Amino acid sequence: MTPDREVPADASNPLGLDGIEFIEYSTSRPQALGQVLEMTGFRPIARHRSREVLLYRQGEMNVIINAHQSTVPRSAPPAETPAIAAICLRVRDAAAAYKRALERGAWAVPTRIEVMELNIPAIHGVGTSRIYFVDRYRDFSIYDVDFTPIPTVDPHPPALAGLHWFGVVQYINGGRLDDWTEFYHELFAFQTLPDDERFGILPKGRVLKSPCGRFYLQLIAPIPELLDADRDEQLQRVAFGAPDVLAAVAQLRQRGVEFIESPEGVHSERRGALTRGQLGGVMFELVQHKPVGAAG
Amino acid sequence: MMHAAANIADMGMDTISMSGTLPMKLAAIRDAGFSQVMLSAKDLAGHAEGIPAAIDAVKSSGLRVTGFQVLRDFEGLSGNLHDYKIDVAKSMLEMCAALGGRVLLVCSSTSTHATGDPDALARDLRKLAMLALPLGIKVAYEGLSWGRHINEFTQAWDVVCRANAPNLGLGLDSFHLFATKTPLEMIDLLDPEKIFLVQLADFMWQEIRSVEERIATARTFRVFPGEGAHSAEVAGLVTQLDQIGYGGDYSFEVFNDDYQQMPLATVAQRAYRAAVWLGEEVLQRSMPLPGQIRLRTQEPAG
Repeated sequence: MTPDREVPADASNPLGLDGIEFIEYSTSRPQALGQVLEMTGFRPIARHRSREVLLYRQGEMNVIINAHQSTVPRSAPPAETPAIAAICLRVRDAAAAYKRALERGAWAVPTRIEVMELNIPAIHGVGTSRIYFVDRYRDFSIYDVDFTPIPTVDPHPPALAGLHWFGVVQYINGGRLDDWTEFYHELFAFQTLPDDERFGILPKGRVLKSPCGRFYLQLIAPIPELLDADRDEQLQRVAFGAPDVLAAVAQLRQRGVEFIESPEGVHSERRGALTRGQLGGVMFELVQHKPVGAAG
Repeated sequence: MMHAAANIADMGMDTISMSGTLPMKLAAIRDAGFSQVMLSAKDLAGHAEGIPAAIDAVKSSGLRVTGFQVLRDFEGLSGNLHDYKIDVAKSMLEMCAALGGRVLLVCSSTSTHATGDPDALARDLRKLAMLALPLGIKVAYEGLSWGRHINEFTQAWDVVCRANAPNLGLGLDSFHLFATKTPLEMIDLLDPEKIFLVQLADFMWQEIRSVEERIATARTFRVFPGEGAHSAEVAGLVTQLDQIGYGGDYSFEVFNDDYQQMPLATVAQRAYRAAVWLGEEVLQRSMPLPGQIRLRTQEPAG
């Protein structure tokens, strides 16, 4: 057990952030998205006890597909096109992280829990997305409570080609770069990377590094010359870190994943790769990156 | 349209200048030749057919929403009072976002319960800016001339700088600027990018002798720019803002009891006359060129 009351909080990581616990997609076609995830190396592991929600996993990455019709205000019903609905952050103390965020101007998401389910605190993120806080991920996991394992399935399928979370790409509207940088800095202590420090093959926008150093957020604004390019701001895609991108691309191709290969533009290379959009826009980016050792 | 299009796309009317229902006000403002409107929370909350219908009316009017007003007595409170004001602020932000509004106006507190501690004021405004941020709303903080601790634009600017949030800036109201006789040279020290809204009004008296008279005048007897005793000052203010590079909107914040009992079209035409005076005589703008478009502000690199 960590002696929290004796170890002072790290000023550069006030929440004790420790990576991504899960990414949640919402869609009214969970099976179609499940197929895409399975092609990408994920395996269905468990079902939610009371809702139409599935847990997929490979290596350290958990993905939740949520097809449940929420009654929580300001939440969109799942659309056919899958959308990234939530990022769940691992923190030292979920209650303290939640309280600190609210004190600084985050919007609380009212929870609707059923009996014997966990009350996972959440705040509103970009668009209709949420940010969850979880502090039980070491000896005990949130999935032990809210999910029923799918029988005969290995609950810990290995990651394909060493894939792990690298980060999330967020599309923002024009003039909003400083706003969103401040949002992630104020609430979670993300830091802006210098402009010459970039990863992968899509270096646009601004990259923010999590205080735990375990993942990144990339903010991308519309091209300024395009008038009326503003759309809904959203979490656009996730990026996987891969120690050897081209080996990962080869393995994923064998499983049927298609990559964008434009000789002049985006194409698979040592630094990174981008999958073709599926189901109306679900794409994954690969970034050359070695996993960071777990903290604590 | 009744008028030759003058170059006044950045000027608009406030709904508070007229009586009548929201659809009547929107129609009068649009028919007079304006393209934007400053809305009050009361326009929505008091709409006979409900808030969603009010939002539909605004959207279908084709008028752009200059901003949404007004959050009062917000900053400097503690405990339950602070929590209560946060709830009020959230409610206003949600209405503003539903309208597609991009600016929420906040007036400096008059509350005797509010502290004047600059750090506390800055912390509260920063929190408000954070609440507004995911909704794409900027917070314009205005020094009310009878504010308890903050009553001049220079003091409001200090708090804004101290709070240091990208979507928190200043709202300027010419009435309050003139009432406190704050030296207008101080405007040159402001960052034009951090002025989120400028409200203009004139009034009939040369002098305002007491705070009571100031409040009464502000609430019942303002007139449109160019109609009162301070045309030269309004013209000077607008020219000065133009010179420092202010590129945001001007809205006519004209509370006037007489205008409340005049036909809406008459009031809106007076406002339009004020806009043309500002655009053509004060700022000496040319007519808009055919097909002229306003380019999006370029994102600074990095």
